Amino acid sequence: MAAEEHSPAIVLRTRDYLESDRIVTLITRDFGRLSGIARGAKVSRRRFERRLEPFSHVMLRFRRRPHGELMFIVRAEAEGLESFLLEHDLARIAMGSYALELCEALTPEADDASDVYTLLVEALRTLERAGAGAALRQAFEMHLLAACGLALDFARCRLCGAPAALTAHPLAFVTERGGIACARCRPAAGDAAVLLPGSDAAALAALSCAQLAQAPSLAAAGRAGAHALSRFIAASAGRRLRSVEFLERVAGQTAP
Amino acid sequence: MAENQIKRASGLPAAMTGLVQELMHLPGVGEKTAARLAFHLLNRPREEVIALAEALLEMKERVGLCGQCFALAEGAVCRVCDDPARERDIICVVEGPADLMALERARAFNGLYHVLHGALAPLDGVGPDDLRIAELLNRLRSQSSPVREVIIATNATVEGEATALYLARALKPLGVKATRLARGLPAGGDLEYSDSATLTSALGGRREI
Repeated sequence: MAAEEHSPAIVLRTRDYLESDRIVTLITRDFGRLSGIARGAKVSRRRFERRLEPFSHVMLRFRRRPHGELMFIVRAEAEGLESFLLEHDLARIAMGSYALELCEALTPEADDASDVYTLLVEALRTLERAGAGAALRQAFEMHLLAACGLALDFARCRLCGAPAALTAHPLAFVTERGGIACARCRPAAGDAAVLLPGSDAAALAALSCAQLAQAPSLAAAGRAGAHALSRFIAASAGRRLRSVEFLERVAGQTAP
Repeated sequence: MAENQIKRASGLPAAMTGLVQELMHLPGVGEKTAARLAFHLLNRPREEVIALAEALLEMKERVGLCGQCFALAEGAVCRVCDDPARERDIICVVEGPADLMALERARAFNGLYHVLHGALAPLDGVGPDDLRIAELLNRLRSQSSPVREVIIATNATVEGEATALYLARALKPLGVKATRLARGLPAGGDLEYSDSATLTSALGGRREI
């Protein structure tokens, strides 16, 4: 039998399996993104304390299986780890779900993801404290992209490397390059570029540098900036995230 | 995938391979279990197998959804909606038919139900339009006698909470009182052995005595 390993982890996703089991995906501090099967998770309060739910912050104890991608989850306990109370607010749930899905989409399985784990803890903590807002969403998106090696750059033109003047004209955000093109390089960027007001580029630049906890007090980029980010994320993840529609519906406060 | 399954089950006669594949569509049934079930059926008396086949067909032909509450029903409306002894001014909203059955077993509720057929699950792309939420709101708007209370009895999970919060928001403009099932210690439960999440909920939901 494989040795038991453990790490702090945040539950990203769960799905029921058979009568009482659950298949759970987590982002761990020490082993990256892992998926495992928790036998009897729906009934065992002793081993799982009913903590295998999205947003749960747990000390994960697991064993690897010799042949198979899914590990065996032995226990998942609070062990004094910080918990995040999001369930009383729909906007927090929507934003938190989006953050979880984004982490799952951008983090390769079993890769080192300690930065992503730390970032997600900080994001959920800030979300609980300050609520869901566009600035926090955009800051988290850019911090996560950076943690996954996909950092956006608003300081320099991505084509020629010249310093960018963010306040002047509308800038072109080039999705394929993950940054902006200066006025001189804009024709070379092609029609696919998203036109970005200087104020949006400046807001995104500020949010990408700020501590996540400070993001809610900063200005968010407007519609064009948000659109540029969404396009880049969809291109990086290879798909549009499922939670986006719900997040935007809740943010728009549209009830049937 | 299907081709793989055929290959793996190639040792069986074609009629059994077909049955194994059909059984594998059932939740939680893999190839081994499906093959075991197929062998079991093969060894049962013919009448027993015919009775099973007929029961399946009869269920499929006769059971549908209640036109009012979307619970399982044989006919246009279910037994609960058809029962004149039920209180018609209180509706309990549940995620699925199994939840309705659990509440009925408890015999603690004498109102009507509304079955959503799921819960909001942003991570799985299940949104409000995928549930029977619009039907609930239409039902409340068009009810001949006004409904005084809607009890939201979705599960105590993230999805269940999201659904409850969404419903509470949607019900507000209709002026209907929305309540949520309490969360806390189970009957007969020891405080000492309760997990921290349950204790937090129980403390939050405490009431004056």
